[in-house]
Amino acid sequence: MSVLLTGQLVAAVLFGVGLYGALSQTNLVMIMMGVELMLGAAMLNVVFFWRYLHPEMYSGQMFMLVLMTVMAVEMAVGFGVATARFRAKGSVEMEEAGELRG
Amino acid sequence: MTATLVVFLAPLAAAVLSVLFGRVAAWLAASGALASGVAAAAILARTASGESWEASVEWLPGLSVSLSVTTLTALLGVTVATVAFFVLVYAVGYMAGETERTRFFASMSLFLAAMQALVLSGDWLSFLVAWEVMALASYLLIGHWHERGDARDAASRAFVTTRTADIGLYIAVFLLASTTGTTSMAAAAPGGPATALAGLLLLVAAATKAAQVPFQGWLAAAMAGPTPVSALLHSATLVAAGVLLMVRAFPLLPPGVLLVVGLVGGITTVVAGLTAVAQPDLKRLLAASTSSQLGLMLLALGAGSVAAAVFHLIAHAAMKSTLFLATGVFQRDRGSTAFRDLLGAGRDSRPAYLAFAVAGLALAGVPPLSGFWSKDAVLAAALASADAWILVPLGFAGSLLTGTYVARALRLLWRGETVVPGPRGGQAGIRSDAGGVWMRAGLLALGAGAAAVGLLARPLEELTAMTLPGGWGAVAMGLAAAALGLMGGWLLPARRLLGGLLPWAERGFVVGGGLAAFIVRPVQRLAMAIGGFDRSLHSLVGGAARFALALAARVSAVDVRLHRGVEGAADGALSVARLVQASDRDGIDALIAALARGTRELGRAGRRLQSGLVHRYLALTVAGFAALALIVTLVVFV
Amino acid sequence: MIQFLFVLLFGVAAIWFGVKVFTTASMMRSALALLFSMAALGALFMAAEAEFLGVLQLMMMATEMSIMALFMIMYMMSPGGLTPMEMTHQKRFSLVAGVVTALLIVSVAVSQFREPSAVAVAPAPDAQLRGLGGELLERSMLVFQAAGVTILVAMIATTAVAMRRHE
Repeated sequence: MSVLLTGQLVAAVLFGVGLYGALSQTNLVMIMMGVELMLGAAMLNVVFFWRYLHPEMYSGQMFMLVLMTVMAVEMAVGFGVATARFRAKGSVEMEEAGELRG
Repeated sequence: MTATLVVFLAPLAAAVLSVLFGRVAAWLAASGALASGVAAAAILARTASGESWEASVEWLPGLSVSLSVTTLTALLGVTVATVAFFVLVYAVGYMAGETERTRFFASMSLFLAAMQALVLSGDWLSFLVAWEVMALASYLLIGHWHERGDARDAASRAFVTTRTADIGLYIAVFLLASTTGTTSMAAAAPGGPATALAGLLLLVAAATKAAQVPFQGWLAAAMAGPTPVSALLHSATLVAAGVLLMVRAFPLLPPGVLLVVGLVGGITTVVAGLTAVAQPDLKRLLAASTSSQLGLMLLALGAGSVAAAVFHLIAHAAMKSTLFLATGVFQRDRGSTAFRDLLGAGRDSRPAYLAFAVAGLALAGVPPLSGFWSKDAVLAAALASADAWILVPLGFAGSLLTGTYVARALRLLWRGETVVPGPRGGQAGIRSDAGGVWMRAGLLALGAGAAAVGLLARPLEELTAMTLPGGWGAVAMGLAAAALGLMGGWLLPARRLLGGLLPWAERGFVVGGGLAAFIVRPVQRLAMAIGGFDRSLHSLVGGAARFALALAARVSAVDVRLHRGVEGAADGALSVARLVQASDRDGIDALIAALARGTRELGRAGRRLQSGLVHRYLALTVAGFAALALIVTLVVFV
Repeated sequence: MIQFLFVLLFGVAAIWFGVKVFTTASMMRSALALLFSMAALGALFMAAEAEFLGVLQLMMMATEMSIMALFMIMYMMSPGGLTPMEMTHQKRFSLVAGVVTALLIVSVAVSQFREPSAVAVAPAPDAQLRGLGGELLERSMLVFQAAGVTILVAMIATTAVAMRRHE
């Protein structure tokens, strides 16, 4: 069995789990955890592709760093929003966040 | 001139004022008559000095209405006014208890005015007018007690009879006017057949008015009126108008016509005298006597003497009116004028009987009463005339019969039918109350006149410049006739005198129903037929009107149906409109509304996507991305 | 071979901890589970001979998860999970979506897999470092700069959003 394939499979499952979590959780923090997982899965895929298809090109790793940046930025902004929301409403439950309902 | 007008205007004014001031009608009538008399005397005095004038008014170019005053006309005016005055005085008492006094006295005044106008008239037109007004007044007066059927019939009969005969008068006047070119009475006639015809026609009218044969029937029936009416109209004036007509027309008449006049008068004298002898009613006896005396006047005219006729007319006026007024007294006492009720009435009212006797004897021709002188003149004229052979016997017979019926009346009034003293009366004679006073006054005045007129013979001769015929032969005849007549009437009852003629005489020698059947009843039947025709016209018009109304009702019913039809059409149109509206509202509008609703629903459905919930958006994103990936995969890799 | 085993091991660990994130009632445990999952990922990186990236991943994730745990305790109702609450919605749909997506990716991976002809040799770690640094500062300088600016912007934005409003 190819390591690449294994890695890809793992990444796929992880992505599915992360998607499940992002869709099913009511709390914003939990949703962000789900997104984390999805991003992690994507990173895994990128790394394995670099290692087993083009290990000589470091742009793969570069891309991996970009993904990591995205992950960090996303978490920062998300927590800022959660803070603002918490201040306005007293909770970060997404079930109650229907103000933009139209 | 003024006096001339007053003569007939005074009674006319009295008549008009009586209508306005009914309570003093009697006073007005009497004063009207008095004024007329005074005025007539005034103009008589004027004419005595030889004057005569005309008062005329021109009403068409060339034609004028005029009053002609001569001694003759003035004298007649005085006579009429005098008799009228005393009769009116008498009437105040006679009509004392009556209710319709105003109408009576007004009609009497009207009559007097017309008579005076007739007497004074100077042309045929005013003569005709006065003639007709007199006939109208006569109708009103005869029928005064209009609730009585016989009075109504008598009035109609008198009016229709005289009116029919007036046709002759009208034709005669027309002939005269066309031949002479003027309506003046004084115009000289050209003579010839036209004038003769005119004269005969005038005779017809005069004879009818004067109740001559064959027109004498109406006078007897006219006795149904009040006695003053009989006294004034039907003894002295109205009937005398017939004689007056012939007197005025005398210059025009050719000798042949004069002969006819005389014959008519003579025959009437005898026939009417016989009738008088047979009458069972005192007033009817007097009526027949009037016809008889008028006949004598016409006989005198026919003999050629105007003076004799006029003198007898004046004397007769006084005598006959006295006789009638006395009859009125007996009527008031006994309640009727039939002889069987009046038997011995004379004993009960001796003053009245005295007056009656004086007048009656005067009428019979007993000297020195007035009748002697006038009868004498008539007989003398007859003797002197060209046709003495027929006129004298008739005149003698008439005088004889006069005496006969006068004596008969006197006998019946005093004694009754048998020569047995009648029962002593229980009544006190003439009533001593106020009415009686009036009656007595009028009666006695006229009675005196009846006695004394004879004395006026000479003065009147001088006045009128006419001579009365005289002669001992006439005197002898007159006396003989009077004596024979009086004795026969006093001693013998009517049955013995007349024998087989009695039934005929009682009925007045009516032939075949008389003029009543010939003229009066046909005229009345014609009037009724016309009335019926008029009624049928009315019903025709009514029927036409009803038909028109029915038509209108039908048309209106059709119209109502039309209206309903139109309304139904309108309703139909309205329901169509409502249908259209409903279809528009429910169909089209509903469609559009459904469209709008559908769009809104769509929008609302779309809004549900905008839940505001993050996880839903995420879910949508995932689903959408999955779909997209599928499509791409399929397109790229398959 | 060993590589394969390690990949498998750490892969399963990552998956297992990832599932644990969402199935545990306690928030604290969720955060820790996520940490361990990321750690497993880091380990995987190292197993794939991308040592620098693995270490980077481990370091970053440790810090991030700690912050997350902090925030979690700040904002969540029962961080200890002592009061069990149903904190999920549209669960069935999410399950289906997760499974379907996983299968999709698996199918694509499996169907397009081509065994590489020669197994590539990964450079030595210091060579990798040098190479990566060269890559960053030469070819991908713009990307590097952009990433830096982006981080700055994110820092400012977050601060701005999270600031307490004085009205």
